[in-house]
Amino acid sequence: MNRFDMNKLSLLILLLLFCTQPLKAQVSTGDVLIKNATVITITDGTLENTDVLVEDGKITRIGNSLRTPNGVMEVDATGKYVMPGIIDAHSHIAGTSINEGTSQVTAEVQMADVVDPLDISIYRALAGGVTAIHLLHGSANVIGGESETLKLRYGVTNPQDMMFEGAPRTIKFALGENPTRGARARGIQPQSRMGVEAMLRNSFREAQIYKQKWDEYRADNSRRKVAPTYDRRMETLVDILEGDVLVHCHSYRADEIYMLLNVFKDFGIEKLTFQHANEAYKVAPELAEFGAGASVFSDWWAYKLEVYYSTAYNAAILTNNGVTTSINSDSGELIRHLFHEAAKSQKYGGLTDEEALALITLNPAKQLGIDNRVGSIEEGKDGDIAIFEGHPLSVYAIPVMTFVDGVKYFDRETDADDQRLYVDPESTIEVVQIFDADEQHKCMQDAEAINLYEFLNN
Amino acid sequence: MNPAMKKILTHILLIAFLPLVAFGQQSSGEIRQENSGKFAITNAKIFTVTNGTIENGTIIVNKGMIEAVGADVEIPSDATVYDYQGGEVYPGMIDSGTKLGLKEIDSIDESQDSREFGDITPQMEALTAVNPNSEAIPVTRVSGVTTALTMPEGGLLPGTAATINLFGYTPDQMYAGSKGIVINFPNSRRSWRQTQEQADKAREQALEDLNAVFDKAELYADIEDAEDTRYYPEMEALASAIRGDVLMYIEVNAAKDIMSALEWVDTRGYQNVVFTGVLEGWRVAEEIFEAGIPVITGPVLSTPTRASDAYDAAYKNPGLMQQAGIKVAIRSGDTENARNLPYNAAFAATYGMGKDEALKAVTINAAEVMGLGESLGSIEVGKRANLFVATGDPFETKTQILSVYIDGLQVPMTSRQIELYEEFLNRNPGLNKYPVTEN
Amino acid sequence: MKLLLRNVLKLALLLPLLFISHNLAAQSDYTGQSYPTQTFAITNATIVQSPGMVLDSATVVISNGLISAVGTDVSIPSDAEVIDGGELFVYPGFIDGMSNTGAVRPEQMERPDNLFTPNPPNDYAGITPEESVIGQLDVTENSITSMRKLGFTISHTVPYGRMLPGSGSLILLSDEKASYDLLLKQDVSMFTQFSGAPGAYPGNTLGIMAKWRNLFTQAGYNKEHEQLYAGNPGGIQRPQQDLALQAFYPVIDKTKAVFYHTNSMLEARRAMKLKDELGFNLVLSDLEEGWFLLEDLQESDIKVLMSLNLPDEPELSEDEEKSDETVQLEERRQEAYDRFLSQYGEFKEAGVAYGFSTMGTSSNNIKGNLEKLVASGLSEDMALAALTTDAAEILGIGDIAGTLDPGKIGNAVVTTAPYFQEDSKVKYVFVDGEKYEFDTSESASSEVSEEAEELLLGTWDYSISTPQGLQTGQWIFTNDGGTLTGLITSDAGGPDNDMNNLTFLDGNLTFDFDFDAGGQSVQVIITGDLSDTQFNGEASVEAFSMSIPVTATKSPN
Repeated sequence: MNRFDMNKLSLLILLLLFCTQPLKAQVSTGDVLIKNATVITITDGTLENTDVLVEDGKITRIGNSLRTPNGVMEVDATGKYVMPGIIDAHSHIAGTSINEGTSQVTAEVQMADVVDPLDISIYRALAGGVTAIHLLHGSANVIGGESETLKLRYGVTNPQDMMFEGAPRTIKFALGENPTRGARARGIQPQSRMGVEAMLRNSFREAQIYKQKWDEYRADNSRRKVAPTYDRRMETLVDILEGDVLVHCHSYRADEIYMLLNVFKDFGIEKLTFQHANEAYKVAPELAEFGAGASVFSDWWAYKLEVYYSTAYNAAILTNNGVTTSINSDSGELIRHLFHEAAKSQKYGGLTDEEALALITLNPAKQLGIDNRVGSIEEGKDGDIAIFEGHPLSVYAIPVMTFVDGVKYFDRETDADDQRLYVDPESTIEVVQIFDADEQHKCMQDAEAINLYEFLNN
Repeated sequence: MNPAMKKILTHILLIAFLPLVAFGQQSSGEIRQENSGKFAITNAKIFTVTNGTIENGTIIVNKGMIEAVGADVEIPSDATVYDYQGGEVYPGMIDSGTKLGLKEIDSIDESQDSREFGDITPQMEALTAVNPNSEAIPVTRVSGVTTALTMPEGGLLPGTAATINLFGYTPDQMYAGSKGIVINFPNSRRSWRQTQEQADKAREQALEDLNAVFDKAELYADIEDAEDTRYYPEMEALASAIRGDVLMYIEVNAAKDIMSALEWVDTRGYQNVVFTGVLEGWRVAEEIFEAGIPVITGPVLSTPTRASDAYDAAYKNPGLMQQAGIKVAIRSGDTENARNLPYNAAFAATYGMGKDEALKAVTINAAEVMGLGESLGSIEVGKRANLFVATGDPFETKTQILSVYIDGLQVPMTSRQIELYEEFLNRNPGLNKYPVTEN
Repeated sequence: MKLLLRNVLKLALLLPLLFISHNLAAQSDYTGQSYPTQTFAITNATIVQSPGMVLDSATVVISNGLISAVGTDVSIPSDAEVIDGGELFVYPGFIDGMSNTGAVRPEQMERPDNLFTPNPPNDYAGITPEESVIGQLDVTENSITSMRKLGFTISHTVPYGRMLPGSGSLILLSDEKASYDLLLKQDVSMFTQFSGAPGAYPGNTLGIMAKWRNLFTQAGYNKEHEQLYAGNPGGIQRPQQDLALQAFYPVIDKTKAVFYHTNSMLEARRAMKLKDELGFNLVLSDLEEGWFLLEDLQESDIKVLMSLNLPDEPELSEDEEKSDETVQLEERRQEAYDRFLSQYGEFKEAGVAYGFSTMGTSSNNIKGNLEKLVASGLSEDMALAALTTDAAEILGIGDIAGTLDPGKIGNAVVTTAPYFQEDSKVKYVFVDGEKYEFDTSESASSEVSEEAEELLLGTWDYSISTPQGLQTGQWIFTNDGGTLTGLITSDAGGPDNDMNNLTFLDGNLTFDFDFDAGGQSVQVIITGDLSDTQFNGEASVEAFSMSIPVTATKSPN
């Protein structure tokens, strides 16, 4: 692949979209030399008039006036800004289901099973400089399913090709109003925050008992032994206890955040990031002490009681108290301007440029355990890069090109308007969908039980 | 204390406060004394919007009205002086599409007053239902949005929207002087269960219903003054709109529906019409321009209306309409985050509209569209003193808003969100309830 | 008098012999239903023995349920009924790779009390792989006759249900008295689909995938346990007799294949993922979006049954001044349509053989869709292979069916013109060596009963009293090319729905239709009594154990 001309590669990708013989499913990597840009590295300051060379999907050199290797596409980025591809730590795009909401604990399900590479939202996110997302299970269950870290390789049709190879396993927990609302509707536990804690402790305790049984079974040397009941749900919970799975917990209220810290301390679980965490700022010292991260909105509030006492200064307070903080979108609309959302931490709390940009690059990478691969522009890291006209923290910034693994997936100048990968032959031409701000919160999708009266009556 | 001393003291106070103010930490009630008196804002760059920019100028405000604006304005001796050296002054921004004061918490029905039961309820007054103490109001105004059109929702004719200033202890103190009935124009959107024919049929039916109601309303408007006219509040409200006493805000988005609405307005001959939403306005911009109908559009931060549209279609929409000659106002469409209005305008500016026109879209255009062009929307003598002072371009994300004036009253530059910041930036007690000492 | 008595006595003696099925040879039959011979010869016909092997002016002899001879120089048995095939075309009987033909939807289940637990009862959750479609078979099912009329002789029928409804069986599409007489081969497959339980675990794809893995793995452990215990039970806890898990054993051993109902590309990918992880034999069934997968299918042992449910040809807008945008969008849509149709030929050319599944296709559309495919590039031989030899291979009956070779089962289709020609009509179908004849005159024979013609056909105004108010609309019954069809419209602007499983017998009208409630398919069943102007019955919904009254009156015109 090294010797491929970038133009040929783009053409190949275009053909992929329309040709009859689909190419073999594989992750494509590319080469590109981005020249003479203002490079925001995140870890090593901002470098003026600097080149970044990507070969075979990895950043191989950062320097001045680099020589262009044979056959590598050049991008003249004079006057432009280069930053690491943005990472959205809370997303529900590119998935066909969000919640398996029929049970309160579903650790066995996995979002990897429902990845949808054909979602147009993927392209729109690329057009906002985003290169990787954390596709989360919804928040209908106290313990939801495993989430999946994806790279936005728009154009592949095999869901497998979107996986961020080597990314650690992550899983979704949820506290507060969302899981209790579902339980209240069905007449089961947990209907209160007390019940949520009880369910967490039950689940972990049961997992410990399960693990013990299986450990005994494996240690048993006799030939005539019978295995205990196998249960994927328990298997996953055991993996969490053993530290093999990063927990991302949907939460809002300070007291429930604090509760989870204590439950996790009791069970020896250390890898934890709170999602949304609108009131995390109230327990920032505790979070910092535990080493938990927080992935928050820039300014969403008031849509539920548990977010009524939010403040847009959340990210700034957390950062100033030493908590690894990221800003996420939880929305197919907001993901397109996460760079602007990050800039709000400068308005609300005066974070520096570097601190603000880390909220959407290195910090989410850390929270997803992929900071060895992405999140900054350093030699050896993946060629996931976004090029902007205008400094990314300026509201007037325009993302113009986005690369994943050195392959260009978004180019504002040359991309056609219609970027759909798949067209339904029976669709009508003028299908209009009006954006509804209230429908953005997808965390509860699929969770409500079907209401007969509702659909018989439109 | 003589006026000169007062002046100097104010200067000092301001300079002392500036660093804190940069973080929006000015406490409540501090400088609220200067309410009904005369005051001057000086030494700042003034963006009048309608008469260019004054590099270094002064504004004199008295009893809520702007008495003078200029580079060489003499400051009356009895005026309190606010020296905003290096600051920029703008007309207060106007959000022409919110539910401020009508909704508190989305998930709690008891806290929502924007939606009444029934399809035909034009007489429902949003103004009286506004909660002047809604938490979202301080949160919004400290960002420089001083005025909002707050609108009822739901059904065909949800009610009467009203323009309010975001400062006042009663709805009447807040009322800015413009109302309009809202019409949710029949739309061609089809649910997942309908075929296109089904959806078209449903739309035709809704249009028939709309015409039936307005026919009745026109009749009512003719006979209204007679002695024995039956009591029919719904018709009264519509008659008021038909006579032009209040505006007609027609919410319509898809291109097909906009065309249909244009036809409807033309057939019925209404003049006091404003289109709201208009997310596909760019597709039929010529037609809208020819009809001379102004437009309130937004949120600009929306996804495109069609899967096949360019990703930035919604960002480009206001600019394209403005370039076709249409008068465009921009709304946030939000309630608790109406503070993001300037960013909606900023994206419109970035993707084709340009900063100047985008600024107009959230100031003078919005005012004019609502019939308040004489009193709001720009910094001109004779207009009301809705102003804010910023450290720079209010569209730029990290700009701080130093002060906000509504009707000449200085707004407390605090909100619960700011108070929480102050309390929790360095929480006390922190991790340990009592400080850990060596011995 | 004496004569009469003698005749009566004769009759009385004969009586015991009259209650014998017409299947048995050489019996007296007072109904006159039995056919005089079990031997048939079609002479001088164009015989397509197998795809690509055509014999002109040839003869085929079917006798005692088997093909006994084929060729140009064949001697005709003396007891044969001779059919002059001068204008006729003979093909091997078609084989339907997967469908619900002959099966009847079971009664909806009551919603159990312990629904919202992590492990709801298996039958409600739809986890019944131990069940067999045999329990759902109904010899009077309309679908048997309508599929036979198209030339289908064997169907791999799978049960109705949710995630794991049970095993499918191969049935012959013949007229029988008892459902087990239909069986060609029992329980040949494990049928599964991405269909969640309403309101219960597993509710959607997430839960279904996890549950599948869990069941398979647990079955593996159970199997080991059972083997251990069977060898020597001493000191070993007794294994749980879990029927659902036991149903997986042959799948684990790969003696039974998994037929996964996967319409979309993403569903197919998920099935393939499970196969990669767990290791079982997989047949992707009723596949519509196959072209995405061609490359990967070429390199695997996964088998395919392509759907016959083709999209409608896109209609171009009639505007004279179409914008560039509209032109481009229409082009893309046309491309997508062409893509869909061309995949059938491409699969064969790439060496990926497939049969057809008619599961998602209305029987009215099958012939037309086959013609469409042939018109758009699929060769007739390829199409025939999918209907015969390839299908037989996939179903494991390649040795007994799929071609007109002597010794194979007596299944054949006889048409008035080459099958894929538009005007061709099916004149005879032989199933299991029995002849079925069809009226090929211009006014095609009607399958619609007289009763239906008199009472049912036309428009009915219905109303359903839901707690939320009255739902009204119309039912429109028509005789569509000999098949009774029904359409439901809604006054509330809801969708037009096709009626499924529409039957009208002895005044009882029954049909069902499906709603797509936000991604999940929910079925509503309507049943009741119909007199000449009035219908009274009830609507019941799978998801809720409740019935709502339904009435309808015949519309005046």
